[in-house]
Amino acid sequence: MMWRAIFLGLCVIGLAAVPFFGDDVLVQYGIDALLFATLAQAWNILGGFTGYVSFGNSSFYGLGTYGTAIAMAQLHWPFGIGLGLGAVLAVGCAVLFGIPILRLRGHYFAIATLALSASLSAIIANLDIAGRNIGLILPLTRADAAFYEEALLLLVAATATVAWIARSRFGMGLLAIREDEDAALVMGVNTTRYKIAALSLSAFFTAIAGGIHAYWITFVDPGGAFDLTLNVRMVIMAMFGGPGTVFGPLLGAFVLSAVYDVLASSISTAAALLFGLVIVLAVIFMPRGLLDLASGFRREGARYLLQNIRMHRL
Amino acid sequence: MSGPGATPLPEAALLEAPLLEARGLTKRFHGLQAVDRVSFALRSGEILGLIGPNGAGKTTLVGLISGTLAADEGSLVFEGARIDRLPPYARAHLGIGRTFQVMKPFPRLSVLANVAVGALFGYRGGERDQTAAREQARALLDFTGLSRHAEQPASELGGPDCKRLELAKALAMRPKLLLLDEVMAGLNSAEIDEVVTIIKKIRGTGVTILVIEHVMRAIRSLSDRIIVLHHGEKLAEGEPNAILSDPRVIDAYLGKRRA
Amino acid sequence: MLLAQILLNGVLLGGLYGLMALGMALVWGVLNIVNLAHGALVMLGGYCVYFLFAGLGIDPFAALPIAMLAMFAFGYLLQRFVLNLIIRSAALNTLLITFGLDVVLTYLAQLAFTADFRTINPSYAGANVAILGLTVPLLRLAAFVAAVVLAALLWVLLQRTRLGRAIRATAQNLVAARLYGVDPAQLYALTFGLGAALAGAAGGLYGMVSQVTPYIGATLTAKSFVITIIGGLENPFGIVLGGIVIGIIEALASLYIGATFTDAISFGLLVLILVARPARSLRNA
Repeated sequence: MMWRAIFLGLCVIGLAAVPFFGDDVLVQYGIDALLFATLAQAWNILGGFTGYVSFGNSSFYGLGTYGTAIAMAQLHWPFGIGLGLGAVLAVGCAVLFGIPILRLRGHYFAIATLALSASLSAIIANLDIAGRNIGLILPLTRADAAFYEEALLLLVAATATVAWIARSRFGMGLLAIREDEDAALVMGVNTTRYKIAALSLSAFFTAIAGGIHAYWITFVDPGGAFDLTLNVRMVIMAMFGGPGTVFGPLLGAFVLSAVYDVLASSISTAAALLFGLVIVLAVIFMPRGLLDLASGFRREGARYLLQNIRMHRL
Repeated sequence: MSGPGATPLPEAALLEAPLLEARGLTKRFHGLQAVDRVSFALRSGEILGLIGPNGAGKTTLVGLISGTLAADEGSLVFEGARIDRLPPYARAHLGIGRTFQVMKPFPRLSVLANVAVGALFGYRGGERDQTAAREQARALLDFTGLSRHAEQPASELGGPDCKRLELAKALAMRPKLLLLDEVMAGLNSAEIDEVVTIIKKIRGTGVTILVIEHVMRAIRSLSDRIIVLHHGEKLAEGEPNAILSDPRVIDAYLGKRRA
Repeated sequence: MLLAQILLNGVLLGGLYGLMALGMALVWGVLNIVNLAHGALVMLGGYCVYFLFAGLGIDPFAALPIAMLAMFAFGYLLQRFVLNLIIRSAALNTLLITFGLDVVLTYLAQLAFTADFRTINPSYAGANVAILGLTVPLLRLAAFVAAVVLAALLWVLLQRTRLGRAIRATAQNLVAARLYGVDPAQLYALTFGLGAALAGAAGGLYGMVSQVTPYIGATLTAKSFVITIIGGLENPFGIVLGGIVIGIIEALASLYIGATFTDAISFGLLVLILVARPARSLRNA
């Protein structure tokens, strides 16, 4: 146990040191990767642990983005308060819409969250204070290194939260809901309250990530803030790494970010294409994520890949 | 209020308020009466057998008591308080636990974790401390003979072990009222005797039990009283020997249709 | 009069939307697959008809059956050799894989066809017909009629043919259907192919009343969701009706509130419906 803690500590320190030794490009890739890892981890709380697959976390990302942007660009409040506003908006939305939407299950829940995100985007695009379709420009600022460290801090906080969940009574309740919600109800789990709590935690971290991103690129618009493809990317990263685990989403995020960046720097369209292909192949051959692939491979070698097909084919 | 053939309660018991009292419980599904004006009372510490042919409404009745289903009419009183508006988890906190006829384990969680959930969320909201909950879970795994499966995922358990797990999970909730829905289905003779012994032990710890069963010798040996449901209505209520030799009950099981 | 005109346009476009959603509803109802690449199939159908028209000079309505056949084959192969591999895993996986397919198809289209806007403009494109004092664009009317006809054909297929019976049986109970001799792999592939063919037809018609680019997929997928939820999975005509409802709502919204709100309204409606009809939504979860 202690070795693991030391190892993790070293990793964090190593990551924190990157801005001092790496070049600008690496730092920028780092910020992107760290923020995505946070998104994947936040999704993991609701999707991986509670079993409610959301395709609309971009709602919270967008609210976090716009909360920060409006606070800083229109109201001239400091960054911290801006982040706070974004978080409040997102968690408020989670509680308000969570209650009706969390009554849905499976596909219907996923679609409802998607629709929520699209609606929010469309609404914001019509608000003057949000700059309508043109968007807002935030005050230009300091070096990337600060954003990098902030993103790292956020990721550490999110991961620590997930680690706590994995070991707590709250987490057991979430897992029970995931495995069999009716049985969980009958055994005394207040499923509505727990689901809303999970959604709110998810919304919180997602919104803060959005806020940091907004200030970093100093520009927000409805399309970018509520980008629907963000949803699938964060889901894929969490799934690719291993949902319902503490480090799976991190692994998935870092690996897929690297893959995406490498591909994008060579040929842009082909990058997107290959990314899509990677997703298709991953779902076929490793539906339970990288961590499971790693342990499965150790046990059975290449047969693990075929086994997944055999289990899930018609 | 009670149906024909009801046994009048002995004087002493009348003085003590029932643990659970159902009055006129009714549940309809798409116009079909699944449970039709069923009334009964459960005394603290007794074992009540619930029998009836398939489709009689037994599992529906258990669903109404545990809160999984909402009654269309009627009332349910537990320890003197109305519970028919309470959600299932609130009833669990009051001390009502149940097993499911179609078993519902948490497939990817370990057997130990499955039982621990009951300890963490059961009576009065359950244990707050994970370690204490796990210890209680271990004790229950011992009690139900599942210790050697503790770390296995619940999805890997075979039929009889699955039934034991259902029981352990319900017991982990420290229920005052335990609703058992066909826990003996598919067990062989020796296993049935085992379960009967376990149920009697559970009653010995002060738990009131409602048992749905088709295995007649088990019901006969376990129950203080038996209620018979047929087409959703309470057909008969009384002592095991009287009930099990009642011609109407036998007719109901042999399928002679009521007019 | 303006209101009536706007409503008419809404209804006509709505019929087309309904056809578009039919393919998704069929696949969802029978295979329990929510196909996030559905819009991409519509897009491909649009390009099919476009190139048959612009490249070979075939009249678009005559090109429709050809495009449908091509899309049927494509859908069949896709289901048979890709989707059938993962169909028994969690619902999330079908969502993810169809998303991946959507990305692949969109960017393949971008590579092959460029991002240029394409419109299918037969010579009679601008013609109008006057009915009851309203100006009815001929093309839109023809598209509407084609949509309704195809929906009716689908209904006939499902209700009156052996294949249709097999499809309906499989939708209700795969195990029982198997016992009756249905080969699931084949049937699933046929159904998906059928859905793709319908999507392709919708794409061809869409190209006549609007433009085709590689990116129209996402919005059309989303719109098809909304319509499928409104219309339900039971009856093709319910879907067409759902499409018309959406068409009308969009028309009214653009008249009274402004075109930019139409998306918000469609999605807001979706959320409301999903939430207000939980009993129906919980089935099939």
